[in-house]
Amino acid sequence: MVQDRRVVALFIGSILLLGVIIGGPLVYAIMLSFYSAKSFVGELQWVGLANYAKTIQDPLFWQAFANGLMIALAAIFLQVVLGVGIALVLNRRFFGQSVVRAVSILPYFLPTVVACLIAQWILDPNYGLLKSILASFGIGIADWSAQGVTARGTIVLVSVWLWTPFVITCVLAGLQTIPTQLYEAARVDGAGAWRQFWHITVPGLRSVLVVVILLRGIWMFNKFDLIWLLTKGGPLNQTETLPTLAYRKSFLEFNLGGGAAVATLSFLILAGVMLIYLRLFPIDDAKQGR
Amino acid sequence: MARISLQHVSKSFGGGHGPSAVKDFCLEIEDGELIVFVGPSGCGKSTTLRMIAGLEEATSGAILIGGRNVTHLPPKDRNVAMVFQNYALYPQKTVYDNMAFGLYVRGEDRKEIDRRVKAAAVSLDLEALLDRKPRQLSGGQMQRVALGRALVRDPDVFLLDEPLSNLDAKLRVKMREEIATLHARLGATMIFVTHDQVEAMTLGDRIVIMRDGVIQQAGKPLELYDRPANTFVAGFIGSPEMNLVNGQLVEDGERLAVRSGDLTLRIPENTFATQEKNVTLGIRPEHLVIADGSPLEMSVSLVEQIGAQTYLLGMIAGHKMRAVFERRDEIRSGDKVPIAFPTERLHLFSSAGGATLRKTEGRVAVHAKECA
Repeated sequence: MVQDRRVVALFIGSILLLGVIIGGPLVYAIMLSFYSAKSFVGELQWVGLANYAKTIQDPLFWQAFANGLMIALAAIFLQVVLGVGIALVLNRRFFGQSVVRAVSILPYFLPTVVACLIAQWILDPNYGLLKSILASFGIGIADWSAQGVTARGTIVLVSVWLWTPFVITCVLAGLQTIPTQLYEAARVDGAGAWRQFWHITVPGLRSVLVVVILLRGIWMFNKFDLIWLLTKGGPLNQTETLPTLAYRKSFLEFNLGGGAAVATLSFLILAGVMLIYLRLFPIDDAKQGR
Repeated sequence: MARISLQHVSKSFGGGHGPSAVKDFCLEIEDGELIVFVGPSGCGKSTTLRMIAGLEEATSGAILIGGRNVTHLPPKDRNVAMVFQNYALYPQKTVYDNMAFGLYVRGEDRKEIDRRVKAAAVSLDLEALLDRKPRQLSGGQMQRVALGRALVRDPDVFLLDEPLSNLDAKLRVKMREEIATLHARLGATMIFVTHDQVEAMTLGDRIVIMRDGVIQQAGKPLELYDRPANTFVAGFIGSPEMNLVNGQLVEDGERLAVRSGDLTLRIPENTFATQEKNVTLGIRPEHLVIADGSPLEMSVSLVEQIGAQTYLLGMIAGHKMRAVFERRDEIRSGDKVPIAFPTERLHLFSSAGGATLRKTEGRVAVHAKECA
């Protein structure tokens, strides 16, 4: 009985702690979105749904949403395709396999700020490494940060560099769970490498991929540091996403209510998309191969 | 269906320089024969099967299926079908798709695929399960699906790698019967790998016993039982295993006998080569007889009643031995039972190497014939 009470106490304690850490700020942010406020210390003025009305009428909100979606989809697609491809190569036995595996995961250990600085040193149109290499062949380089497509492309590129190792690690782990006998059975059945991939590897990785895409989707859609460090939403809001917009409104324009409304809408959109996604690709069913 | 010829096939791992899993394996398997590879774990039986399937490359030697040299061909070009120990069913596919997959990848016509899958399902009693996924099946059902997957392909050879090992005892017997029936109906060439000598004895037209990558003996089940080529085969085939006693050949009056401690047993005339002095005498537990008035007695230390038979464990003239009799309810632990050794049932092996001393028999002869 004493044991039971302790377990209940620990359970309630952890729920309360989580409530304070996660629930508190969430409730506060949602509450803030119904007020007008210039700072966190000043007096709050109730405005009802006015912040939401303003936000959804703001073309910049929808542009930020579209930008975020584009960047997230492109990044996830490349991260998953490259991650699966590289994991398949690393899963084969070859000389120095463990060293190559370790090296391939290295970028994941880099702090985002360091990765962004490295990317800028390489890509800078005036003094970057890429510029000097291309210049030695007589080729000029355009300013990637001056155009929306190249700026978004750069964000995607750096995110792929940083987070593909995460996908590689997950997929490599997933590959270990596929019994080799399935491949042997398929070989005897007459399936070549391509059919083995589609009929055994992909279904076998389904549960891993469902989770990886879910996590990468959430993280990419909410990505702030990488975008802020590389482009600050520019040029001309071409890389503005909902997190950077919320930050800009709250901390640069001192419109806390507006920023909170953007953040709350972003949260609701993401939650909605993820619920639909999990309905379409249930994790449990994927695991059981339904 | 096809004849299979294995000619001096060897396999060593680690790029050909590692330990040998199979050494100089020679065997001719007739068209329509069900042959069983049997032996303890690590004897090379599964490796040999996998080389025939093309899942392992032979380090040396040649493998011919239907007269065609397939040694270096990939599995898909050998027209073999394989049933795996863990069934290896595709978990995301239905029973129907599992069975159809091999035909689908070979570009077979949809109607033909459907016809063949349904025919196989009828013959294996799988019709009601066609829409199920493997995880919704019992072990026996999964094994039948694995058989069905092999069956629809209409292969030259069926390769079965310990297909009954994961089933419970009762189901094993049932599936064994199903495989035997299937073989009789199809008349297909089948190779069945097992470590269970009962499976080997009951299923095989012929049995190949292996140890450490080397064929110990190949022959019909009762040949192996009656005339084991060496002490390993003698011990492996038959349950409980053969009693083996080390002794010396001595003259006992006009006849030759084997003496070991207090035990002296005459051996039949003109049956064994008798130039070696140190020998191993063998007699199967079920060949010992209770003979009132016999000077030899078994001091029984353990009685096992298994229904139709009574198993005894005890000492005879200082040697630990097993005996099997028709049911004897009256024997108790501690009893002394008079025992006789029928001379014609005795086996004699060389103490050095364990090869049989029976004239005109032996592993060497079998091996030489297969490799000729």
